[in-house]
Amino acid sequence: MGLVLGEPLADARAKAGELQLHAVDSATDATALRRLALWATRYTPTASPWSAANGADGFFLDIEGAAHLFGGEEALLADLSARLEKNFGLPARIAIADTSGTAWALARFHAARNCILPGGREAEALLPLPVEALRLSPETCATLRRLGFKTVGALLDKPRAPFAARFPAELLCRIDQALGRIEEPLVPIIAPPVYHSLRYLIEPIITQEAVIALTRRLMQTLTHVLTRDDVGARALRLSLYRVDGAVETIDVGLTLPTRNVSHVTRLLDLKLEAQAAMHDAGFGFEAIGLAVTRAEPMPAQQTELDIQNHPEVPDEHSIERCAALIDTLRQRLGPHSVRWFTPVPSHIPERAEMLLPANASNPAKLKTTAGAEPTEEKPRPLLLLPQAEPTEVVALIPDGPPRRFRWRGVTYEIAGAEGPERIASEWWRNHNGHRSAEPTRDYYLVEDTGGHRFWLYREGLYERETAAARWFVQGLFA
Amino acid sequence: MTLGPGFSVLRNRTAVAEELRRLLPKMEGVRKAAPIPFGLAAIDRYLPQGGLAGGALHEIVPEPDALSAAFGFVVALLARLARVHTLFFVVPAYGFRRYGRLYGHGACALGLDPNRLILVETARRQDTLWAIEEALHSRAPAAVVGLIDKLDLRLSQRLQLAATDAGLPLFLLRPAEILQSSAAATRWRVDALPAARDRFGLIARARWRLMLERCRNGRSGEWMVEYDHVAHRFSLAAALADSALPRDANENSFSQAG
Repeated sequence: MGLVLGEPLADARAKAGELQLHAVDSATDATALRRLALWATRYTPTASPWSAANGADGFFLDIEGAAHLFGGEEALLADLSARLEKNFGLPARIAIADTSGTAWALARFHAARNCILPGGREAEALLPLPVEALRLSPETCATLRRLGFKTVGALLDKPRAPFAARFPAELLCRIDQALGRIEEPLVPIIAPPVYHSLRYLIEPIITQEAVIALTRRLMQTLTHVLTRDDVGARALRLSLYRVDGAVETIDVGLTLPTRNVSHVTRLLDLKLEAQAAMHDAGFGFEAIGLAVTRAEPMPAQQTELDIQNHPEVPDEHSIERCAALIDTLRQRLGPHSVRWFTPVPSHIPERAEMLLPANASNPAKLKTTAGAEPTEEKPRPLLLLPQAEPTEVVALIPDGPPRRFRWRGVTYEIAGAEGPERIASEWWRNHNGHRSAEPTRDYYLVEDTGGHRFWLYREGLYERETAAARWFVQGLFA
Repeated sequence: MTLGPGFSVLRNRTAVAEELRRLLPKMEGVRKAAPIPFGLAAIDRYLPQGGLAGGALHEIVPEPDALSAAFGFVVALLARLARVHTLFFVVPAYGFRRYGRLYGHGACALGLDPNRLILVETARRQDTLWAIEEALHSRAPAAVVGLIDKLDLRLSQRLQLAATDAGLPLFLLRPAEILQSSAAATRWRVDALPAARDRFGLIARARWRLMLERCRNGRSGEWMVEYDHVAHRFSLAAALADSALPRDANENSFSQAG
C-alpha cells in the first residue's frame, strides 16, 4: 500500500483509507521480546534482547561454540528462521557475523533476509550499507547525511581525527564495535527462577499417605530455595506421573504467600481427598513433581516469639494463621464457600453488598483493626432474605404504613411502623441496552405485637407508577 | 488434725466456697481465655467467671420466629469482644436459606465491622462440624459462630473440648425443637421483645428476652436486656408496659427478675 515507517498518520490515512489505530505499548512489547529471547536460549545460554538504543525489536544470540550442536551455522540459522515463522508467525531477518554491530547492520539492511558473514570481512560487508547501519542516534545520522556521508564506506576511509572532533564519541565507538576493534559486551537475559522439585521412584506408590509423605519431602526441598530468594508460594501444582504415562495434576492456591511445609502438605492432602485423584492410581505413580506456579515476595520473619500480644491489633502471626485457615476451608468446601462481605456503592439494599470469595483478591482485608462505626443512619436488617418475598398487606390508605401483613402463612399484627424510607431505582444503570425501569420502593421497619421486627417495602408509587402497589418482605431485624 | 470435710465446711463455709471457686476453672481448663463480661452486674454475677467463659461452647437457642433476635444477640456479644480479629460464621447452606443471609450493613448497624466477618457455607452436616473444629484448631479467629440442626451430648463434648483447647468462644445456634443435654458451658434462650423507643416513638434499641437456662458452675436466670450498638453496651430494659418510668432507676429492681 506504500506505507512507510515514521509517516504522519494523516498521510497514511490518505493512502490507505481504512486504518486500525493502536497506541504503542512499549512495556508489553518489551515483555514479549523478553519472552522471545528466553525462548531463544534453547540455542545458546547467552541471549540478549536489544536495548532501546538498538531499536528494541530483536535480540542477539552468542552462538560461539553452540552452532555445531545444530549442525553448523547454516543449519542453526535455517532452524531458527523456520521455528520463528512456524511457532510465532514472525518473519524474522537474521544475520550471523563476528561482531554484534555488523550482525545488527546486516540483519537490518542486507538485501537477503538471512545472511552469514564469514569471519574477518566486516569492513567489506559494511561498505555499501547506509550510515544508519552503524546504530547511531538520529541526530548524528542527519548531520552525516547533510555533510554528504551516505554510506558506511564513505566514512571508513576518512581520517578519524576530524570525526572525533566534530561528532559525539558514539560515532567512532560504533564503527570500532562494528569492526571488532573494541569489545561490546552483551547483557545476557536471566531466566526467572523455577521452583520445581521432582522425584523419581524405584517402586511405584499407590496410597495417598505415600504421596503425601513424598510431597512433604519435596516441599522441604523447595522451602530452602524459596527462603534463599525471599519468596513464598501463592500457587502450587503437584504432578503425579502414572506408570502408564498419564499425569494427574493438583493445583492449590493460597491466600498469603507461604513457605510452611505442613500447611502446604495438608492442603494437598485435603485436595487429593476431595478430587479422589487416588482412585485411579492404576499401577501407581512412578514420579512426583511439585512446582511453585506463582511465587510472591515474602520477607523473612521471626517465626516464634511468645510475647504478650496486644489484643487490639491482629499481629502478623495471627493473620498468617487466618490465611492458612481460609486456605484449608477452601480446599475442602470449595473456593466459593468461604466468602467475605464487600460493600458496593448502591442504594438498592440487595445490591449494596457482595459476598466475594475470600482469596487473593484482597489479603489486606485480614488486617482490619478499626472498630465498626455504623455508617448508615437508616435502619438495616441483620438478616436479608435471598429474594424479597411477596406479602399481603392491609393498610389504611394506599400509600400509608401497613397495619397488618401475612407472610409465610402467618398473620402479623403491626404494633408500630417506621418509615417510609424511599429508595428510588438506579436510573443510571442500564441492563442490556435498555434502561431498567424498576419501581420506587418505600421501606418500612415494622414491629409486630410479639416484638419481631421486619423490613417491608411497597413497590411503586401509588397512582404515579402503579395502581395497585405490591408489598414485599425483605429482611429481619435483630 | 483430721477434721471431716463436712466439719470444715460448717466451720468456714465462705472460705471453702472461695477455694472451690478458685479451683474449679482450673480443672475445667478454661483459665487461659479471658471471660467475656456483659458489663451488667445483674447478669455477670450469675456466670462463674463474671462473664461468658472465653474458651467454651455456648448454646444459643432462639424461640420460634426469633432467629434474627438470637443472631442479633450473638453479633452484639461479638462486637464486645476485646480481640479485634477475624470472626468465622459457619452457616449451612441448606437449613438457613429460609431466613436469608447475614447482611453486612445490618451487622454494622449493630456495631460489628462486617470486614471482620468471614462467612463459611457448608453443604453437609459433617462439613459444618469439620469447619467449626478447623476454625477453632487454627486459633486464628477471635470467635467462631456456628449454626447446627441438632446437637447431642457427644458432639457437644467434642466441640467444648475443641473450644477449650483453642481458648476461643464458640457460639452455637441451634433450634429449640430437639433439646438434648449437652456439655456446653451455658445455654441461652433468646426471644424477641418490642424494641425500646425514644421519646418520639421511634425504635431506638433492640430489646431481647434472655433466659440463661443452664450455666455450668453458675445459676440460671432471666433478663430483659437492651443493646446499645453505639456504646456496645447491654442494659436492663425498663418495665415494658410503662415507658414513662425512667429506665436507669429501675435497673436494680429488675436484676432479680429471673
